[in-house]
Amino acid sequence: MTFSDAQVERYSRHIILSDVGGDGQQKLLSSRVLIIGAGGLGSPIALYLAAAGVGHLGIVDADRVDLSNLQRQIAHYTADVGRLKTESAQEKINAMNPDVSVTLYHERFEAHNAFALMQGYDFVIDGTDSFESKFLINDACVMAKQAFSHGGILRFDGQTFTYAPGHACYRCIFDDLPPKNAVPTCSQAGVLGSIAGMLGTIQATEAIKYLLGVGTGLTDRILSFNAKQMQFRTISVSRNSACKVCSQSPTITKLVNYEAPVCDLKSRGGAA
Amino acid sequence: MRFYDNPPVLAEEQALFVHDLVDYSLGNIDPTKFKAIRVAHGVYEQRQDHTYMIRIRCAAGGLTPEQLRKAAELAEAYGGGEVHFTTRQEIQVHNVTIENLMTVIEGLRSVGLSTRGGGGNTIRNILTPSHSGIRPGDVFDVDPYAMALTTRLIHEPDSWNLPRKFKIAFSTAPDDVSFTQATCLGFVAKMNGDQKGFEVYCSGGMGAKPMVGHLLLAWIPDTEVYAVTRAIKTMFDKHGNRRNRNQNRIKFLWKKIGEEEFKQLFHDEYALVQGKDPLVLPELNNEAQATDLPIETVTGQDFENWKNRYVMAQSQPGLSSILIPLKLGDIYKHHADILCDFLDHFGPNTMRCERAQNIRLRNIPDAYLGNAYRMIQQLDTLSEQPAFIGRMMNCTGAQTCKLGICLPRGLSKAIQKRLIVSDLDFDAIADFRLNMSGCPNTCGMHHIAQLGFFGKVGRKDGDLYPAYNVLAGAKVAAGQTEYAQRVTDIAAHAIPEFVYQFLRDYIAKKDQYATYNAYLDSEGFDLIKALCDQYRDVPAYADDASFYTDFGAKKRLSLEQLGTAECSAGMFDMIDVDQKNMKQIIKALPDTAEPADALKTLLFHTSRMLLVTRGLDPKTDTEVFKLFEKHFVQTELVDKQYSAVVLLGLGSSDALVPHADAVVELANAVMALYKGMDDSLKFKLDDAAGSGHTAQHVTQDFRGVACPMNFVKTKLALEALKSGDSLDVLLDDGEPIENVPNSVQQEGHTIVKKEKVENHWQVTIRKA
Ligand code: SF4
Ligand SMILES: [Zn+2]
Repeated sequence: MTFSDAQVERYSRHIILSDVGGDGQQKLLSSRVLIIGAGGLGSPIALYLAAAGVGHLGIVDADRVDLSNLQRQIAHYTADVGRLKTESAQEKINAMNPDVSVTLYHERFEAHNAFALMQGYDFVIDGTDSFESKFLINDACVMAKQAFSHGGILRFDGQTFTYAPGHACYRCIFDDLPPKNAVPTCSQAGVLGSIAGMLGTIQATEAIKYLLGVGTGLTDRILSFNAKQMQFRTISVSRNSACKVCSQSPTITKLVNYEAPVCDLKSRGGAA
Repeated sequence: MRFYDNPPVLAEEQALFVHDLVDYSLGNIDPTKFKAIRVAHGVYEQRQDHTYMIRIRCAAGGLTPEQLRKAAELAEAYGGGEVHFTTRQEIQVHNVTIENLMTVIEGLRSVGLSTRGGGGNTIRNILTPSHSGIRPGDVFDVDPYAMALTTRLIHEPDSWNLPRKFKIAFSTAPDDVSFTQATCLGFVAKMNGDQKGFEVYCSGGMGAKPMVGHLLLAWIPDTEVYAVTRAIKTMFDKHGNRRNRNQNRIKFLWKKIGEEEFKQLFHDEYALVQGKDPLVLPELNNEAQATDLPIETVTGQDFENWKNRYVMAQSQPGLSSILIPLKLGDIYKHHADILCDFLDHFGPNTMRCERAQNIRLRNIPDAYLGNAYRMIQQLDTLSEQPAFIGRMMNCTGAQTCKLGICLPRGLSKAIQKRLIVSDLDFDAIADFRLNMSGCPNTCGMHHIAQLGFFGKVGRKDGDLYPAYNVLAGAKVAAGQTEYAQRVTDIAAHAIPEFVYQFLRDYIAKKDQYATYNAYLDSEGFDLIKALCDQYRDVPAYADDASFYTDFGAKKRLSLEQLGTAECSAGMFDMIDVDQKNMKQIIKALPDTAEPADALKTLLFHTSRMLLVTRGLDPKTDTEVFKLFEKHFVQTELVDKQYSAVVLLGLGSSDALVPHADAVVELANAVMALYKGMDDSLKFKLDDAAGSGHTAQHVTQDFRGVACPMNFVKTKLALEALKSGDSLDVLLDDGEPIENVPNSVQQEGHTIVKKEKVENHWQVTIRKA
């Protein structure tokens, strides 16, 4: 275990924490996290993980920065409009912490590339805004026994939980995609920009805790909040013995792309 | 006014507790784990499943009228109705169901009362005489010390995780009414010239293996109370026997290592903290508050009797203290309201919990004694009875307590019933201590009784009946405490008559003897034996069934009723659960047709069993295997060859079948490892593995490194060492030397030496 002087100083507030320490910081530096979506959630997640010294980040996003993104996607600046989101995010990460290496994937997270993208990561974070992606990420992670953080925001509400193999998965709770257009996405319904930061930082914290093996994660619990009333609650959930993907006799055994709602063309498969 | 301050994190910890409660009710937390959590929050499960008792801290027994009023309101709305005063000068609310626990706990917090540390391995309620600061002739008021010490200790996070419970008491005079020699750490007020200070006793304790405390320090100035406590606490934390809960009070440490070594260890720790951080004493005024309450005049013999029995003139002229003898330590809301309305006229510092489960009022102007008398008459108390009756002590027993064998509350009532109709002059024995506990655990303090009882099971032709051991003859005084000795035993139902007969003899002969103990030695012990022999013949169940049902019980005594130990559940319970499962699986394995899942479960328990000894709390099944591999296989506590097998746990159980033998071998190796674990949770192999490692001594120069970087670097340097190694760090004077050693200690390491060298410091640290 060797830290450079600069590292000792940079991570001193972690090292002082008795649950982190030098060992914990080393663990973070040698950890690999895949962030799917470099938008509203992905921005704070990537920035905080980079600041924390998570040694390697993978970022999956096929979209380019749009002016309407800047209200909440804080990794991107006005000058970045039109650039690939992945590259824009990478630039901010590099400027912030040279200890962090970044791999960019300019593609959508889809059935055909899901397993390949996840390969070699310790933890996956869902920062997407479509149900299709969320179910796909869940199914892929369950099949690959891969822990991940689910997150979703809409209007004033946020929701997140952490999947770990053997525990309740997204489908245990929500079973299957809502009927087309039954639930709007944020491009249709709007979202308060700052709640992307609220939820994203919770997801980042969950990732760091998972990597360190510290504390109690949001496994088998859903945390949801309503920022308008500023009320938080956690609801305990448990595995569903009839779950389509994680039960003893699953009906979903291979990945397929789920169909996207027809009307939401602009940010399909993109990030919240 | 508050008698102690809660740490700011209390609200947060209680919020976490809410989550755990919800999780538990949803079945997501197993009962063993939940027990450890709730006991630390002062929440005990009662005999009847899913009803709880909440224990509330009252430092030095202090309780304001506002606080009692709130507790009573909550007890009525969500509990069994009564606020119960305990023998440890706290209050309890009983019969709370799980969904109301938080409402009660939060309601209490709103008036500054905390349930945190009501149970569990922590600093329990700190005791003082209820007359501290007001009794004429006392050395000085010890309440401010007990209150300040409470606040200090409950702010220290390491107070919540001691090897076992830790009890502290203060006495105001050598008569030692707080029984400092029957407690882990005791302070008796003593002057040295005109300087206030204390005589310090240590390592006393009652319980099933009672020990009388020893003199630790003949005198310390009053500014040293915290430092002495800190030193003992650290010592206990380091050397307590965490494995065997039953051997894990500071008294056992004294016994194990002997006086000399104990004192040596103490002085090593004390040297590090001596002279530091004296308590900041609260200002407690014992004075009358102005009131416009009209004075009521009362005359007559009853009033005079009451004054003689229950009113004490305070050392503050013109003020009185009044004892209210509660029936079985209980008060209900409408009575509590009457009492608190009255006390509101006289201010917040007007009440203490008293050890015999009564309430002591203070700072009542003499002129208002008539009012007080009329007020007390409206309450349902024993104030019309001789003081001896109200001083009888008993624990709540099997009614609420899961350990209890007998029901001392019922017995106490039955004795009272028998005595009240007698013509004996109980005022002649006003201070007599008649104490009873429902089991050997001494919550009713039978060890310090002049006549005491503790519950046991009697058997007649295979039928069980409630019975008690009989003890007598305790002496209490600072430095001269002796516990009561067990004389014989007796059926519960024979006790009321026995007590009557015995006291009749003693009261008649009392004047012939200098002391009660002289009476006992000359004839009292013989009388106890003779009387008990008379009652030895318990009628057969068929002839008289009443003997087989305890006082106050609904059903006859049976084994099923005798619950299992309700203690601060610890790690060992958790280990035992795994071990039991492992043994069962291994036994059944030869007959298991498809062993894949059984093997996986076995490997799981094997891997999880000892993680807790390393402070590891795996969140997922996967983590169990990973952590075990890392902390037990890679460290070679078990043979490295098992690494592959353990990692098979991460995949499907079928893969284990070809390795069945290895899985069983590994399970046995882990159980053997546990067998060899010592008191400080070290494994025998730790030493073996360590034997190739000679303790290192490393020096690092952190002069010129500012806070907190110097601590960061010290911490990193320590992480590179092995347990037992030493590290010397050079630190600058000023902030660095003030901060770094403390922070290092908080991480559990030992500061062996601090030495000033020219303009800097050399600190020697031993890695934990
Ligand atoms: S003495 Fe025994 S029965 Fe009584 S409260 Fe204590 S543990 Fe329970
Ligand atoms: Zn599922």
